Amino acid sequence: MLHCLQSPENHAGNSTDMTVLERQGARLLWLQQQPDQQNFVTQNSTSLEFYQTALFHGLTNNDFGNLPIPRTEFVTEKMGFSESEIVANFLEMGHSFSRTSSCLPAAAATTTSSMAGAKEKSGNSILLEKMVSSSTGRDSLKKRKAEVEFGVTEDGRDKRIKADAEEGESKAAEKNSRESSADTSKENSKFSEVQKPDYIHVRARRGQATDSHSLAERARREKIGKKMKCLQDLVPGCNKITGRAGMLDEIINYVQSLQQQVEFLSMKLAALNPRLDFNIDNSFKKEFPAYVAGFPTADISSSEMPNLACLQFSPVKQGDTSCVLDVPITPPQAPQRTTGSSIPIPEIYLDSSCFPQVQPYTTLDSDLQSLYNVEFH
Amino acid sequence: MNPQNLSLNPTSIRSKFTKTFLRALTRINNRRPPISPSREIYQRYRRVKIAADASMASAVGSRRTWSRAILWKIRNQRRYRALVSRRISTHAMTKRDPRENYGREVGHGSADELRRIVPGGEAMDFCSLLGETAHYIKCLNTQVQVMRSIADLYST
Repeated sequence: MLHCLQSPENHAGNSTDMTVLERQGARLLWLQQQPDQQNFVTQNSTSLEFYQTALFHGLTNNDFGNLPIPRTEFVTEKMGFSESEIVANFLEMGHSFSRTSSCLPAAAATTTSSMAGAKEKSGNSILLEKMVSSSTGRDSLKKRKAEVEFGVTEDGRDKRIKADAEEGESKAAEKNSRESSADTSKENSKFSEVQKPDYIHVRARRGQATDSHSLAERARREKIGKKMKCLQDLVPGCNKITGRAGMLDEIINYVQSLQQQVEFLSMKLAALNPRLDFNIDNSFKKEFPAYVAGFPTADISSSEMPNLACLQFSPVKQGDTSCVLDVPITPPQAPQRTTGSSIPIPEIYLDSSCFPQVQPYTTLDSDLQSLYNVEFH
Repeated sequence: MNPQNLSLNPTSIRSKFTKTFLRALTRINNRRPPISPSREIYQRYRRVKIAADASMASAVGSRRTWSRAILWKIRNQRRYRALVSRRISTHAMTKRDPRENYGREVGHGSADELRRIVPGGEAMDFCSLLGETAHYIKCLNTQVQVMRSIADLYST
């Protein structure tokens, strides 16, 4: 009997000829040998269904022959469903069986409960083998607790599904980068999730490095290129030059020429100014009315004019004050005026234009500082 | 009459610079001539130059590194003049050598040249140096235009 039971087809074929009790015994024996029978996994679904229905018939006919005809129909109509439903049905069957057995007389209750336990076990082991055959984890066969196994394999399968999804995402995100091994693909999925919001404008093209240093360096080079382009528009004659070194040389030449122009112009102004002392304020009013209009001291500067004229015609007085002038241009006094002299200096300047004796208090430095500090209304 | 000066808003850098520079020129002209007349033109030139730089930097404000550097230099010129003149012999040698070693830019020799030219560019990285240079070039252009127009006006 054991020989014919070891192959399920034989068992299914002979099930009609066997008595119910024989089949039960064979079933129990077979259940004990089940972990070693790997080929049970590969059986086809029709024989399995038949085996299961036969098993249930055997169980039900053995203990309560009159009761479970609707139950078998219930089982058989559900047997044709998918794997997971079969699994669920087995559990349901076990539960319902034990429920029905609890309302039976006590003598039969113990046997039926034990049979229900065996039945549940068999169902779970079938479930287990189904899960094993689907998830290819061989070592999980060794364990008997179906719920635990179910949870573990489900977790494993979930993880695997998630990993697959992540791989798909990473491959969709970085289509051009080639990753073959699983480690690099996992790293890259994390990397793309982390790095995407930061460097959304820096995309790694084919063959480019994707670590953060390379990305930052690429962003920096892009910024430098943008600024070089901006400079290229500023500096005339820089459009024809290709190459960064040539452009830098051209920029340096241009800046130097501008600085020399400023020096030359300031020299020119310095040479011009002694002869144009009277004209400065005149021309300041005449030639730059736009500034004079918004300039609060414009009226006073025009009122300075006679005083300046007086100054020009009294060179002796100027000489006297110039001797005094050299004294306050000493280093220790300059830092004291940095903050305090910012506001009063226009008044000092205006006063000094009217009264030359006050002028030594205003050095050139403090005047220049006042240029920076004074707010024009 | 200069049409480009007239059509400016009063808060632009050009008009600010023109205002402050003309005031500084007026102040310089109010000064008495120095004791030695041989050095007079040189001192005037230096003052005009400093006035031009300072008014440009003050028109820009302290937002830019180069304007801050110019203002700092002018402000501390007298205080540090003795120090700089004492140091100036060893300055070139000691400061060049570390610069030659660091920096792996393309043509970093010219980048160092640019760092020396642009005020305050010694401590900048290459990227911000380029930005500062662009702004400095714009402001130098403005300075040159305004100074040229002033010189043309007063020379005639």
